[in-house]
Amino acid sequence: MQPADLERALAPKLGAGLIGVEPFEGMAGRVRFHREAALDLFRTVREDLGFAHLSMVGGIDWVTHREVFYVVWSDDANQYLVLSTDLPAEDAHVESASGVWPSANWHERETWEMVDVTFDHHPDLRHLLVPDGYVFHPLLRSFKLHEPEELEVKSRHV
Amino acid sequence: MSEMWINMGPQHPMTHGLWNLRVRIDGETVLDVDPEMGYLHRGIEKISEDRHYNEVITLMDRTCYVAGLAWEHLYIIAAEKALRIQPPERADYLRMMCEEFQRIGSHLMWYAAFVQDIGLMSPFLYGMRDRDLVLDLFQSYTGARMTYEYMRVGGVRNDLPPGFTDQARKVLDWLVPRFKEYDQLCLGSDIFHKRCDHLGVLSASDCIRHGVTGPMLRSAGVKRDLRKNRPYSLYKEVDFDVAVADGADVTARYLVRMEEMRQSVRILRQVVDWLDAHPGPVMAETVPRWMGAPYAPVGREGYLLKRQYPKGVGFSSIEEPHGEAQAYVVNEGGEHPYRVKFRSPVFANLSAARTYLVGYHVADIPPIMGSVDVCVGECDR
Repeated sequence: MQPADLERALAPKLGAGLIGVEPFEGMAGRVRFHREAALDLFRTVREDLGFAHLSMVGGIDWVTHREVFYVVWSDDANQYLVLSTDLPAEDAHVESASGVWPSANWHERETWEMVDVTFDHHPDLRHLLVPDGYVFHPLLRSFKLHEPEELEVKSRHV
Repeated sequence: MSEMWINMGPQHPMTHGLWNLRVRIDGETVLDVDPEMGYLHRGIEKISEDRHYNEVITLMDRTCYVAGLAWEHLYIIAAEKALRIQPPERADYLRMMCEEFQRIGSHLMWYAAFVQDIGLMSPFLYGMRDRDLVLDLFQSYTGARMTYEYMRVGGVRNDLPPGFTDQARKVLDWLVPRFKEYDQLCLGSDIFHKRCDHLGVLSASDCIRHGVTGPMLRSAGVKRDLRKNRPYSLYKEVDFDVAVADGADVTARYLVRMEEMRQSVRILRQVVDWLDAHPGPVMAETVPRWMGAPYAPVGREGYLLKRQYPKGVGFSSIEEPHGEAQAYVVNEGGEHPYRVKFRSPVFANLSAARTYLVGYHVADIPPIMGSVDVCVGECDR
């Protein structure tokens, strides 16, 4: 599967929601999309293209905006594919993929607490790796490693 | 009967690390579970953004403390792709040797801990005894038993000491009959079968829905091993079979891991023979000295001079002992990676806990979780 094949398969379903498909070393390609088309893209990639296995979800803080990327795998094509979308920093939210790939659940919880991206309609958006009540988002560039912050940590249990 | 939540952890013999499994029970039956992670979160991805490319390797040993070399390998492949550096062939073979010995070491650690969980005491001692032989090998060429810091961007730190390959062959010859003894101890025991058969069943479709990989996926009959499916390093040069079983239960996961160790021995014999026959450099010539190559030519660049690499993104995925690990390294041209993201197989395997624990009894939780092979360090990162 080449980037051009992917673009041909995705363009009719997504229309303006698809920005393009770039080549990516070691993968079928890198699909760039607008967040409005997220759910349509997830369904098409899973059901029509056969990428049944979501490996990871990650976020990158580019200061001006934030990027969320999804790495998916297809057993039939024996290939990875990365889906990536840019979100404005002041209003970073995107539709959750956990309805399409249940494995997205924990990865999105982690991305939410680390990079401050909200996943709409996520079934269980709670803290995973840092304690409840933790107000910082450690993987943002504004979180400096050498300036320790003090805070009171609430217990996880009610 | 009234329902209640109980905590198994953060300090419980079942956990093999620091995490908490909250279990909702009705009598002895498990109704719901909620794994609670984060006790070992050290912010490795954040710290990596503040370090040189080679300094991140130190963190990789601590990410998974039973499979440090496998994680170094994962990161190194991604970093080399991001920086566009090609390692010499001998370095690739050395890395494969590290990874396969590490797989044996990690599986022996799993074997020792898991079999003790189900009430067989002596296999624990045998497993730890044989793992020590592997650790001795690591010590002889990396200088450490647990935190190796052996690989470098562009190669590996040093070549093997004299006489290493003979010693490695001796260890392999010792290990092969031991695997048979392990099988006799476990598969020949009624206790083992009563505590493991038909427990923690996770079908192939559930594995894929929940992103479960590694021995758990292969125990459900899916023949997927990245060393075969998408050979990284030089795995396409060596001959081996993918271990699969079809029970999808705890016993099947035991069988898969045992077979994987036998296949690792098979790979190692080929790799050690190759290393004997092909001496050569273990570090790429193009790597600047500040990247940590101790005997690389200094060239026009001094030790502290910073070099701007062209921007790029590196992605790697390897078959780590616990499953499929991935690294995503973003290089923005500086001396530090801009963002490093790791995918831990244990993280995904644990997130499916509800699927393979609900409906079984409380006493079944230790063998089931033991068969998952939890390494909290790499889950929490």
